[in-house]
Amino acid sequence: MASLTYGTEEWEKAYLELVKERQATQSKPYIMGTPEWVAQYEELVQNDAEYKEAAKDWEGSVVIKILAKPEIGLDSDLYMFMDLWHGDCRYIRLVPPEVGESGDYVITGEYERWKSVMAKELDTVKAMMQGKLKLKGDLPSIVRAVKAASRLVDLSASTEPRFPDELSPEEIEGLRKLLQEAKEKFGI
Amino acid sequence: MADISLGPGAEEVPLAGMLAEMLKANLEKPEKKRDFEKLKAKVLIHAVDAEAKITMDFDRGRLTVYGGEAGKPDIAIATDSTTLLELANLKIKYGMPWYFDETGLGVVRKLLKGDLKIKGMFTHLGALTRLTKIMSLS
Repeated sequence: MASLTYGTEEWEKAYLELVKERQATQSKPYIMGTPEWVAQYEELVQNDAEYKEAAKDWEGSVVIKILAKPEIGLDSDLYMFMDLWHGDCRYIRLVPPEVGESGDYVITGEYERWKSVMAKELDTVKAMMQGKLKLKGDLPSIVRAVKAASRLVDLSASTEPRFPDELSPEEIEGLRKLLQEAKEKFGI
Repeated sequence: MADISLGPGAEEVPLAGMLAEMLKANLEKPEKKRDFEKLKAKVLIHAVDAEAKITMDFDRGRLTVYGGEAGKPDIAIATDSTTLLELANLKIKYGMPWYFDETGLGVVRKLLKGDLKIKGMFTHLGALTRLTKIMSLS
């Protein structure tokens, strides 16, 4: 049971404090899946004119669900929730599973698939057609916004993160501990 | 509810389920249903980069989607997966596919460059027009 409840002011404040603290103590490139990396991605999306234009008709939240892979520190599935509305990115957060699952569009994949997407080795649309990524949500809406979706992926790649499977054993343990603490405190 | 079913091999090609789902939603619109009920054609779709092939067998109000090639197609469309979805974004104006906006011109450019190949485009023009109207999300 998380000590803070998602959706409350307290949760949001503590989450932003964690991001601030991590940004002050960690150097770039950030590790994919960490709160500081998510915040870096959020800033890129919020300031991207190309995304704003492509997504001007978009309504609804998109969730990236990265399936657990304990050997690289991901003991539980990770949910990255993007609140997107008519070209605006209101926020991007790591969220508790029940919140993630309630997103309008949930795209699920193994860690390796997302790594390939973020390294620009795998196209998201192609991955969906091959079943490597699975979409839950209204497909026609995603198809209408295919350019916006592609831009979101391009932006995630431009964060040039460090990938968990390329970390040293000590760093993997550090990631595990961070996510464990985040789970206890934030339910994510 | 439109009569759309998955035939042999479709389960192994996720693209088949995606297009079937998209068409089901589209065919709730009466004007698309009318075209669907008139369309009789076998259409092969090849998402080249995804190495995914499906055959859509339209039979006047019924559609069966097969994985891979199933019989000789009347129309064969080959392109990358993103362009394939972009085809669904073609607008329909005056009852016809509209090629004079950004999306339409993009499709024409890809046709001219050979990034989008459509066999049967001229011999089955009527069927292709109906197909485009059915697939269009507009």
